[in-house]
Amino acid sequence: MDTQHIRNFSIVAHIDHGKSTLADRMLELTGAVEQRDMRDQVLDDMELERERGITIKARAVTIWHEYRGERYQLNLIDTPGHVDFHYEVEKSLQACEGALLLVDAAQGVAAQTVANAYLAIEGDLTVLPVLNKIDLVHARPDEVAEEIEHSIGIDATGAMAISAKTGKGVSEVLDAVIREIPPPAGDPDAPLRALIFDAIYDEYRGIIVYLRVVDGRIERGERIRMMGTDKTYDAVEVGCFTPKMKSTGALSAGEVGYFISNIKRLGDVKVGDTMTHFRGPEVEMLPGYREPTHMVFADFYPTAAGDFEGLREALETLSLSDSSFSYEPVTSDALGFGFRCGFLGLLHMEIVQQRLEREHDMDMIQTAPTVTYKIRMEDGTEDEIHSPGQLPSPDKYEGLLEPIARATLLIPAEYVGALMQICADHRGTYVRQEYLSTTRVQLTYDIPLAEIIYDFYDKLKSSTRGYGTLNYEIVDFREDDLVKLVILVNREEVDALSSIAHREQAEQRGRSIIKKLRKEIPRHMFEVSLQAAVGARIIARENIAALRKDVTAKCYGGDITRKRKLLEKQKAGKRRMRQIGNVEIPQKAFLSVLGSAAEGK
Amino acid sequence: MKTAGDESSTGSSIEPPRAGTPLYVHVPFCAAKCHYCDFYSFAAVATDSEGFVPLLMREAERRAPLEPTTVFVGGGTPTWLSIVDLEALFDGLDRITGFRRSAAEVTVECNPESLDVAKAARLLELGATRLSIGVQSLRPEILESFGRVHGPRQAFLAFDAARTAGFDDLNTDLIYAAPGQDIDDWEQDLERVLGWGPTHVSAYHLAFEPGTAFERWRQEGKLARAGEELELAFFERTHARLRSAGFEAYELSNFSLSGRHCLHNVNYWENGPYVGLGPSAVSRVGRDRFGNARSLETWRADVLAQAGPAWSERLSPRASLGETWWLGLRTTRGVSPEEARATAGFADEIDPSLAEARALVEQGLLAERDGRFALTSRGLPLADAVAVRFLETATAPEAVHES
Ligand SMILES: Nc1nc2c(ncn2[C@@H]2O[C@H](COP(=O)(O)OP(=O)(O)O)[C@@H](O)[C@H]2O)c(=O)[nH]1
Ligand code: SF4
Repeated sequence: MDTQHIRNFSIVAHIDHGKSTLADRMLELTGAVEQRDMRDQVLDDMELERERGITIKARAVTIWHEYRGERYQLNLIDTPGHVDFHYEVEKSLQACEGALLLVDAAQGVAAQTVANAYLAIEGDLTVLPVLNKIDLVHARPDEVAEEIEHSIGIDATGAMAISAKTGKGVSEVLDAVIREIPPPAGDPDAPLRALIFDAIYDEYRGIIVYLRVVDGRIERGERIRMMGTDKTYDAVEVGCFTPKMKSTGALSAGEVGYFISNIKRLGDVKVGDTMTHFRGPEVEMLPGYREPTHMVFADFYPTAAGDFEGLREALETLSLSDSSFSYEPVTSDALGFGFRCGFLGLLHMEIVQQRLEREHDMDMIQTAPTVTYKIRMEDGTEDEIHSPGQLPSPDKYEGLLEPIARATLLIPAEYVGALMQICADHRGTYVRQEYLSTTRVQLTYDIPLAEIIYDFYDKLKSSTRGYGTLNYEIVDFREDDLVKLVILVNREEVDALSSIAHREQAEQRGRSIIKKLRKEIPRHMFEVSLQAAVGARIIARENIAALRKDVTAKCYGGDITRKRKLLEKQKAGKRRMRQIGNVEIPQKAFLSVLGSAAEGK
Repeated sequence: MKTAGDESSTGSSIEPPRAGTPLYVHVPFCAAKCHYCDFYSFAAVATDSEGFVPLLMREAERRAPLEPTTVFVGGGTPTWLSIVDLEALFDGLDRITGFRRSAAEVTVECNPESLDVAKAARLLELGATRLSIGVQSLRPEILESFGRVHGPRQAFLAFDAARTAGFDDLNTDLIYAAPGQDIDDWEQDLERVLGWGPTHVSAYHLAFEPGTAFERWRQEGKLARAGEELELAFFERTHARLRSAGFEAYELSNFSLSGRHCLHNVNYWENGPYVGLGPSAVSRVGRDRFGNARSLETWRADVLAQAGPAWSERLSPRASLGETWWLGLRTTRGVSPEEARATAGFADEIDPSLAEARALVEQGLLAERDGRFALTSRGLPLADAVAVRFLETATAPEAVHES
């Protein structure tokens, strides 16, 4: 295919602004998918994605559109919408020359709209603003166009107004893609360079690598080399997505498609890596390749203490299809053997946890997530701390540093006061405030990541009645007066319930954790005491009164089976608990360390 | 759910009971349905019992053990049946099993509205040795709230009739911790009943069982449980009062004068074998436990078709071991680990129940004496919480099926 007739683009949008719906309409319109085969949202295909309505992994599809009598190949590359998957968005955009900036004309610009738009602009993409949902009576396209101009600084006067739902304007969008977005610039005759912008694990086909050929041409049967990992593979199959995989035998400069070889583990393929011919001419690597950074850590322990191996297997299998979390064995005094896992963010953590439970039937205890801390030693060296349990006693280090996130908040103007208070309560430092329009404000604060994880996001949502949006990136590690908040159950320290908090917040947090534990931990046949402590000082305490009476009055021959089943059910309920000393602690209690997040579930 | 794999537990291959196996007979008819009752029983009209006894005999011919050591005719209300029906029942059973010569104890459950001297005397002649009378309460308002059809006076008259007819072993069934019940009133009631001179008292704290009117009303907020502290006070007061009257609390809810335990029930708590006849009746024979349909109509059809049981289960030795401990710990006599292993057919080297028992001794909930483990006074009201520790959940019972 000659590059003049190729366009590579993606759609960037805030969650729920209609990206999947628009993609579906495009597929329908171009005949890639027959109307009757049309499941809603063809591009999202993991079960969890469907359920949560978020796109986790990027997908790509090739469609054909006629413009002024000529046929064009359009490659639509889908991008994840959530901040956790920032790096993947970046890589998907790198495979494109243009992006549609899709904004809900009723809701207006949201935090991820801005974040993703900036990514596109930084990547030198042609950005075409599109206002969606104009069929809604409360759509306000003019105002939203103005918001786009203010927040992103691109000209939105000519923004297309469409309804992805009814299909109105979608064909014009495709025309604009061809007209406005430049064709790929690569040289088909140069040595091969292809960008790996995604990879997935397929149960039947193994690893499927998504690539964008930048220069040259790749054919089935050729031997290739991944420049970053320095691994070589045979191209067993090469093709494009229609959206089903269709083998084409070759892909050339400008084209987008897939590559299959005998790659076993997802970890062997690095998103952002460059593919070239094995023993071909020297070429320069495509820019921007890096390993994912884990910002959030949590420990997983099998509920049944012996099931460590089962959990290891499950994590191993899962890592075939998600290479962006890490895991390493840990031991906890309270919980025994388990794994400390690193995630891109909170959502990513939840997804991994749910997949382990659903796809691998694991019963696990998960500790509250924590961020990476750094301790500074006397000699100036620094060490990373991935769990409160790892923190040495204060005399062993000089300073404790925590990651700081630059948070961009987009909120309706009336909530500015409330939000500033929340930011202050969460140790935020004011950076700037901008009015995007008369009704929407963009606030920028530097906030410790730990605060965002603790309950900031929930507070933001509840105090703006769901209209506030958040995006953040880590900008710094900063020292602060941080202490270890220890929780004792029946006077025994439970490392899995400990956390790191700012000294001034420790007392209030300690009280709130103890209160929640009191609710979560069932009564026992003896009194259970709960305490929170900083150093040697007890800052909060509660007791759970002993269970006094629990007895079945009648039990004769006709009752035995039924009553036994009732008791067994009670016992099964305890399977999701962990015994610490004599005390059974339910899974949920381990999340009490979080703020409001744990209560909502 | 029947599958080829669990043939071993279906009716056809359940072994016949050994001679001497205790026998239970269920009569589902009552004058009215009590609001707390979850037995299979219903307010019956005369025609309901037509053909009932002959059908029971057909079932007995197929399944009843020879020479049972104990017999318990329960329900429901067996005395709801006419004297003619009762004669047919007892004569028939004796013809089939020979219980009159073999059984050391033959209990019949009665309710005050259907027991007079004539019926009691006839029951004695028919082979009953012991009557259990549903008194429940001596407070008219509580009896009414229970949906009972008799008053306190009628209860006394029934008891007196049984005595007059010549019964020596008499049990009274009582319920405490009813919604709104005063604990001192309860103690007085208990006092009065003791004054009648029963040899045995079954005193149950009121339970809100699924499917009962009481449970429904509780969920609707029309009734409330007494609350843990009050229930515990009732429990302890009941135990104290009966003990001081010379009654032994030989099981959590059962009290008797010396030597007057209900042998039939003791067998349940020892996890022994038994055969049950009649709708909803359950049997345990060998490793299998199985039951009849909880419906008069279905039971009737099953008996006529000579069908297997409506459900059955076969516990693994490990699960059976846990069950044996659970049941045994309900009794004052407690559990001997060796006996429990033998009962359950558990042959492994390591006895998981024993470890559990020792841990509970540490916690002061069990005590060990002469090689037997039993609940301490602190453990008694926590019997279920203790029981849960012994039950197994890791592996489900082998081959449970319901059809
Ligand atoms: N009224 C209206 N609703 C739309 C339109 N486009 C999408 N939606 C709805 O908005 C919601 C989110 O759309 P979806 O495509 O899943 O958003 P995504 O999260 O950006 O992929 C869904 O309920 C869609 O049906 C539109 O043009 N008009
Ligand atoms: S008399 Fe006994 S069996 Fe009949 S309904 Fe009342 S409690 Fe139940």
